[in-house]
Amino acid sequence: MTVATPPPPSTGLSGAAWIRAKLFPNIWSGILTVVLVPILLYLVYRTALFVFVNADWEAVERNLTLFMQGTFPRDQQWRLVAQIFLFALALGVGAGTASATARDRALQAGLAYRPRTLGSVLRRFWSLIAFVLILLYFASTVTPWLVVLGAVALAIIGLQSYRLPTSFRLYGWLLMALLLVAGFQVVSGTTGRAWLVMAMVVGVGAWSLTESSRIAPGWGTWALKTVAVVVSTIVVFLVYSVVTVPGVGWDKWSGLHLTLWVSALAIVLSFPIGLFLALARRSTLPALRWLATTYIELIRGVPLISLLFLGQYVLGFMLPAGTTLSSISRAIAAMTLFTAAYVAEIVRGGLQSLPVGQIEAGQALGLSTPSVMRLIVLPQALRAVIPAMVGQFISLFKDSSLLSIIAILEFLGVRSLIHAQPDFRVTAHAETLVFVAVGYWAFAYAMSRESQRLEGRLRVGYG
Amino acid sequence: MTSPPPPASRVPPWRNIRFLRILGQVLAVVLAFLVLRWLAGNLTGNLDRLNMGLDFGFLSRPTQFQIPYRPSFDPRSPVTSMVLVGVLNTFLAGFFGILIALALGLVVGVSRLSANWLVAKLATVYVEFFRNIPPLVIIIFFAAALFTYGPFPNLREAILVGLPGSDSKLLILSNDQWGIPGFTGGRNWVAFAVILGVGFVLAVVVWAWRTSVNDRTGKPHHRLAWFLGVLTGIAIIGYLALGGPFSMSWPAQSENRRLIVGGFAMNWGFMSLTAALGLYTASHVGEIVRGSILAVPRGQNEASSALALSGFQRYRFVVLPQALRIAIPPIINQCLNLVKNTSLGTAVAYAEITALTQTSIGNGRPALQSIVVMMVVYLAFSLTISLLLNVVNRRLQLVTR
Repeated sequence: MTVATPPPPSTGLSGAAWIRAKLFPNIWSGILTVVLVPILLYLVYRTALFVFVNADWEAVERNLTLFMQGTFPRDQQWRLVAQIFLFALALGVGAGTASATARDRALQAGLAYRPRTLGSVLRRFWSLIAFVLILLYFASTVTPWLVVLGAVALAIIGLQSYRLPTSFRLYGWLLMALLLVAGFQVVSGTTGRAWLVMAMVVGVGAWSLTESSRIAPGWGTWALKTVAVVVSTIVVFLVYSVVTVPGVGWDKWSGLHLTLWVSALAIVLSFPIGLFLALARRSTLPALRWLATTYIELIRGVPLISLLFLGQYVLGFMLPAGTTLSSISRAIAAMTLFTAAYVAEIVRGGLQSLPVGQIEAGQALGLSTPSVMRLIVLPQALRAVIPAMVGQFISLFKDSSLLSIIAILEFLGVRSLIHAQPDFRVTAHAETLVFVAVGYWAFAYAMSRESQRLEGRLRVGYG
Repeated sequence: MTSPPPPASRVPPWRNIRFLRILGQVLAVVLAFLVLRWLAGNLTGNLDRLNMGLDFGFLSRPTQFQIPYRPSFDPRSPVTSMVLVGVLNTFLAGFFGILIALALGLVVGVSRLSANWLVAKLATVYVEFFRNIPPLVIIIFFAAALFTYGPFPNLREAILVGLPGSDSKLLILSNDQWGIPGFTGGRNWVAFAVILGVGFVLAVVVWAWRTSVNDRTGKPHHRLAWFLGVLTGIAIIGYLALGGPFSMSWPAQSENRRLIVGGFAMNWGFMSLTAALGLYTASHVGEIVRGSILAVPRGQNEASSALALSGFQRYRFVVLPQALRIAIPPIINQCLNLVKNTSLGTAVAYAEITALTQTSIGNGRPALQSIVVMMVVYLAFSLTISLLLNVVNRRLQLVTR
């Protein structure tokens, strides 16, 4: 016997009802709407007038390359293209592996898994996509189109890692890390200490691969792991001492390329320092706690620009005579030391949010303090601080504009080159600023959306 | 025959937790000391070779440059007075920036929760727009698009808005400086300031008295009315007794029409900096306000409706007191950020402490010491605001058993 179910009541309001409910809910609100609509229309009209009629976008159009890569040597441009391609591939592999991991977990938990659709990706990153489209609109040659198409194609190829069986997840992550390092070094070159960075990634990879292999626990595994790490390090070193490709060091980077890298490097480098500071501040050893607290509070009490000044004017004197550091290296050092204090506070928040029962349970199992830290506290605390870390990264990304004050030509700073050109000495200042603002906005907005999404997902307890 | 005493079980030092704790701390301190000594050793060595000192004697030597928009500043006066000017300008930018940020932030935060779709969407767009652009870009945009390359004429042909029926000007607009009416202190203005301070203390005492009356008898306290009444009364009496300690001052162009004299003159750097920082920080304050109102449990709203409180009463007596408890600490933090961000004034040549320090270093003053002085100034600001935050936090803490 079937019971006739009535169709669910529609929750959406029809046009007129919607307008009445949302725009004229009461008399004051109605008046507000009536006042706001003409103001809003006027603002939209003025903005449209500026963007489409009055603004002279020639300064942006002719200097697009300058905005993107600044004074990066033009004959080395292929390195940047290679970097974009490698990163697109890494991004694809990472996204594919992440989705596959989420799918595995959902299946394990017996939940339905909805794969990501193109639409959801577009919605999540629409600001970045819009920025790329603006860039393509301004592009005067066909190269940028080819680069973007190639990057998209490579990202799609990378996404196929989604189809790999479960046992290949680790390889997916390792491949992504390798591609990221390779992308960095295709620009910076493989000379000097570049092998160390690669050795670290390969070492971690060798470590985790041996960890997942089926060998009885005990000293045997430790020995195997050590051997794997040492051997991989030696191999990397040997490869790098044979393949020495000189590159373009970051002293010569500028434009948006530099902005992105400076923020990425500062957050990556500041993380270990911040983690250590947070642990020291939470330590039961008074001397350690005091040192960490003093550092954190001193740094948080002064503006970033004062540290950049210190780096610019004083840091050189604090190193042994004869050491020369480029102004970009000094700025990265200043930003790293600055961010470390903020990262420390974020991590401390994560540590404090952990119920004390977790630590007690670890102690009850007979784990030593370092083991409790490594196996119980840090994995949970660090996961909890991911959204806040993204927030800190956004703020670092915005703060990197301060480098223009100390005459470093990052995304905002390249304007000084453009307005030194005879054609744009007194014109188009507003136009270039709007373009720069849109660029910063697109990245910061996409990241803040991602951070909100992560926050929501972490709150539900999986992801 | 007595058995020998049992051997004292001694824990070896590498397993003795007390020893390890001391060792850890000694190591940390020694390591920190060594790093600092290495840096300081390099520093003194390098400076010695260049015949540069580490003393702060430069503070009493002449500044040697003219501070923009401050014709009364004598370049021969010592660096300390330059620092004071910088501190004052930092304070001014921070103060007005905070005013804009708080007022606008409150409006934006409440608007985001409005039942009116248009208002809520506009507030959302505002927040998402301003909080994702670096403040420096906003500052430079105002400076370039509004002033340097903006629509206003230069000060010689400034737009003058006169006060009807007199020669005085209400408003002077140019691409360089804006002038609005202000106050200028007469002979007795210091005495008047003291009287105002005393009046404020008295008003606070009256406030406390009314609170205690309300606590004891349950009569309405009317604290705010009493407070303002006492303050205004004392201010009026003081003003009359001192025979006009201050007077209105109207802005005017100087003889050579290069500066605005009188009134409250704002230069382009100041206006770009305060407006931009105010708008930027307002987006953060708005989010805090919205979050804190949302954080008040729904039940509180429903309970006040059940008590038949009106909409205003519900907000005034139930929702806002609880929302403010959550909102005020992060808002004070945002104010602290704004004060630190006034250091970006150096990009628009506004003579706050960072810009002056940069100029001073460019004029050959020792860099390290100048930057240390600047950092101490910011630390003093930060510390003051943190102290305020602590006091507020203590007052706001829920009193529980």
